[in-house]
Amino acid sequence: MTDLHTIRVTVNGTTYERTVEARMLLSDFIRHELGLTGTHVGCEHGVCGACTVLFDGQPVRSCLMFAVQADGHEIMTVEGLAPEGEMHPLQEAFHEAHALQCGFCTPGFLMTLKPFVETHPNPTEEEIRKAISGNLCRCTGYQHIIEAVKLAIKKIHHTDA
Amino acid sequence: MRAIGSSIPRVDAWKKVTGEALYPGDIEMPGMLHMKVLFAHRPHARIVHIDTSKAEAADGVVAVFTAKDVPVNEYGLLIRDQPVLCGPGSDKEGADIVRFVGDQVALVVAETAEQAQAALDLIDVTYEDLPVVSSVEEALAPDAPRVHAHRENNVLQAYRIRRGDIEEGFAQADVIVEETFRTGFQEHAYLQPEAGVAYVDEEGRVVVITAGQWTHEDREQIAHALGLPEDRVVVRYAAIGGAFGGREDMSVQIILALAAWHLHKRGIDRPVKIVWTREESIIGHHKRHAMVARARWGARRDGTLVAVQVDLTLDAGAYAYTSTKVLGNATLACVGPYEVPNVWVDTRAVYTNNLPSGAFRGFGGPQGHFVAENMMNRLAEALNMDPVELRMRNVLREGSLLPTQAPVPPGCTMPQVLERLALEAGWTWDAERGWQAPPPPEPTPPAPRPGLAALEATSPRRLRGRGLAIAYKNVGFSYGFVDECHATVELHGGAEIERVVVRHAGADVGQGAHTVMAQFAAEALDVPLERITLIVSHTAETDNSGSSSASRMTFMAGNAIKRAAEEALRLWREEEARPAVAHYRYIPRPTTPYDPETGRADPNITYGYVGQVAEVEVDPETGHVYLTRVITVDDVGRAVNPQQVEGQIEGAIAQAFGWTVMEDFQVEGGRVLTDRLSTYLIPTVQDVPEEMRSIIMEFPDPQGPYGARGMGEMPFIPLPPAIIAAVRQATGVWFNEIPLTPERVWRALQEKGTE
Repeated sequence: MTDLHTIRVTVNGTTYERTVEARMLLSDFIRHELGLTGTHVGCEHGVCGACTVLFDGQPVRSCLMFAVQADGHEIMTVEGLAPEGEMHPLQEAFHEAHALQCGFCTPGFLMTLKPFVETHPNPTEEEIRKAISGNLCRCTGYQHIIEAVKLAIKKIHHTDA
Repeated sequence: MRAIGSSIPRVDAWKKVTGEALYPGDIEMPGMLHMKVLFAHRPHARIVHIDTSKAEAADGVVAVFTAKDVPVNEYGLLIRDQPVLCGPGSDKEGADIVRFVGDQVALVVAETAEQAQAALDLIDVTYEDLPVVSSVEEALAPDAPRVHAHRENNVLQAYRIRRGDIEEGFAQADVIVEETFRTGFQEHAYLQPEAGVAYVDEEGRVVVITAGQWTHEDREQIAHALGLPEDRVVVRYAAIGGAFGGREDMSVQIILALAAWHLHKRGIDRPVKIVWTREESIIGHHKRHAMVARARWGARRDGTLVAVQVDLTLDAGAYAYTSTKVLGNATLACVGPYEVPNVWVDTRAVYTNNLPSGAFRGFGGPQGHFVAENMMNRLAEALNMDPVELRMRNVLREGSLLPTQAPVPPGCTMPQVLERLALEAGWTWDAERGWQAPPPPEPTPPAPRPGLAALEATSPRRLRGRGLAIAYKNVGFSYGFVDECHATVELHGGAEIERVVVRHAGADVGQGAHTVMAQFAAEALDVPLERITLIVSHTAETDNSGSSSASRMTFMAGNAIKRAAEEALRLWREEEARPAVAHYRYIPRPTTPYDPETGRADPNITYGYVGQVAEVEVDPETGHVYLTRVITVDDVGRAVNPQQVEGQIEGAIAQAFGWTVMEDFQVEGGRVLTDRLSTYLIPTVQDVPEEMRSIIMEFPDPQGPYGARGMGEMPFIPLPPAIIAAVRQATGVWFNEIPLTPERVWRALQEKGTE
């Protein structure tokens, strides 16, 4: 038995109307319905953070939400970070500071960090660590990710420096 | 700017920060079908009967495959002891037995993944359970059930080293230390679960796109199981979401190819896709070997090691995977990087009904050094001697003989690494007293920790300690396995080189191998990096590279690409070839296997050398061990890309901390209790050290390209015994078993308190 719902969701500025099964996960909707495969699924139960997207501007784990919950809301995925091909300072910083190796966790880190770096011009190291403490990375040991966060904040808030 | 030694950003970094990079699970093709695997979920059983009729009739199901559909129902990297699918009906003897919970029983291909998943429940399998061998102790008991019935016993492989006269050695010893050590399984926990797509192309070849560590080995194993010549199989790698050894053996490769091939023969030319869940990944691929080892070491009062005896057993699990080679490494590593006149080592890898064990960063080195370096720190204490001083008196030097009685290859820098580490960590040296450690760190009031505020209020002081250990790690395949690596370099242009094409099979598992390949070509040709195009990880376009494992890819690919580029340049200049194309097959110096009686061998091509100091804080109220500071000194020969080298070191340290303190892989009667990331905890950013000092030394390896040694594994190896020594200094307790979970630490502190 299937229970279908029609939803309207704005993803990266484009509004999509789709009919989805009630239990379809938001992560599956993004990846399979919309083909936005930059949102990665690493654990399917909210632990690893790889599937993090912005939901009305706030980071959420898309594997812990249903697509129907996004009805009428705005989603941003990693593909929305550089819509015109101009990189977000976070993307530039991750590129420059070698904040990724295999890169599978990277979109989740970027989406978790976007609101943080934009609203924290002078965070402490502890605040930076706390901001990314819900995202797992198995390759980097996190040190270069922390460096990239500092670099991104510099690019956003201290361009004259 | 020279390409070698420069921290140029990864060649794939832009694609990975925009989400453009396609991992195997991201690939979509028109008309694609979806596949799910029926896992046994039983540790040891005979499959009496399989009825797939209901599943075949289910909505959306296109095909169901079982053992009878596998042309040659066996596979394995070194020994073909594992059925592709377990069950009756294939011609492989013993294929009707499942030997661990992750054995695969049936494949369902359907229009959607949900339909395939639903149909799994409709497959009716009749099992007859068999007695479960759940530990190495059970496996080695005289009347133990056999995991592989045709074998005499459960010992997969045994090695020994006999050097000198062990009894005479102990007779000379003033101090003898004897201990038993245990280390646990470790899950790779790469963030990208296994996935892939397969189809049959216009030329009738089975194409498998997946994530692995060695395209050509995958191809060989697929071709063998399908009964096809290798040129009918193509393996390509998409972006690879981490590996660490965990993708060295087959997971989805053969089953994808099998499904695509059968569908093609039935006239269904549609691609097949599979994506494993995290639970499937955790039971579906091998682990780091759990180890138990007894060690007895003797030294003279002046610190000279005179006798080293070790008996070490690895839990190989249900199938061989790379256990024989891991055991080979552990056999050498358990003596440590020391010259010892009298050595007596017995090791074995043992079949059980646990998950298979296999390659994981360090490949036996961490287990072996856990024994050796803990013993050295114990001996230092027993001798009342500084641990650096004790090591300096015994460490391998240029020209030293290994326990296997071959000289260590030229370029041994263990003493230089140890000296630099000691100085960086505050040790001092004078002619009278030798090496002296800095005073132990004082206990401090607890620093705030998120989530533990309530405990901090009642906690007195956090205990602090510092510990040191060193290690060496082989680079390249070992013990007589012929290592090789091919590269092709094409130079295009007219008056000047406008475009360079480098063809290389090597897998970039995340470590940055492809970036390094481009750097080698740019350096050898003296062209800007932008002119380099890589054609990589594709069996129809590149020749065999060997695996991204054994810390070998920079060393092997660098040597191959450098020489191919030099030859292409010669053709370009001297013969004015346009394009100038050169191919080079690099074969490093040969190694030899262990002599079965004495263990004599020239075991490895070369080594990297590493030392680490760990500082910890231990909360006596909770048993939590915090790693606060690490100093790591790594001789990498030449840092081809310093930023990537730092990344490897930092990542290895995080994983090593996980293995030592956090990662508690639990198996009970062959069943996995920690099959998801909410129960198997890996380090977060809050767990890794607040301070990491990474000193990269560059003593060129005579065999290395531009002097580079391999270095991806070695930073993992000294940390566990360094942490053990630090916890000893902090608490007064020696731990012989890891992980140092809060419960284990707390219990030991309670016992000590009541003594």
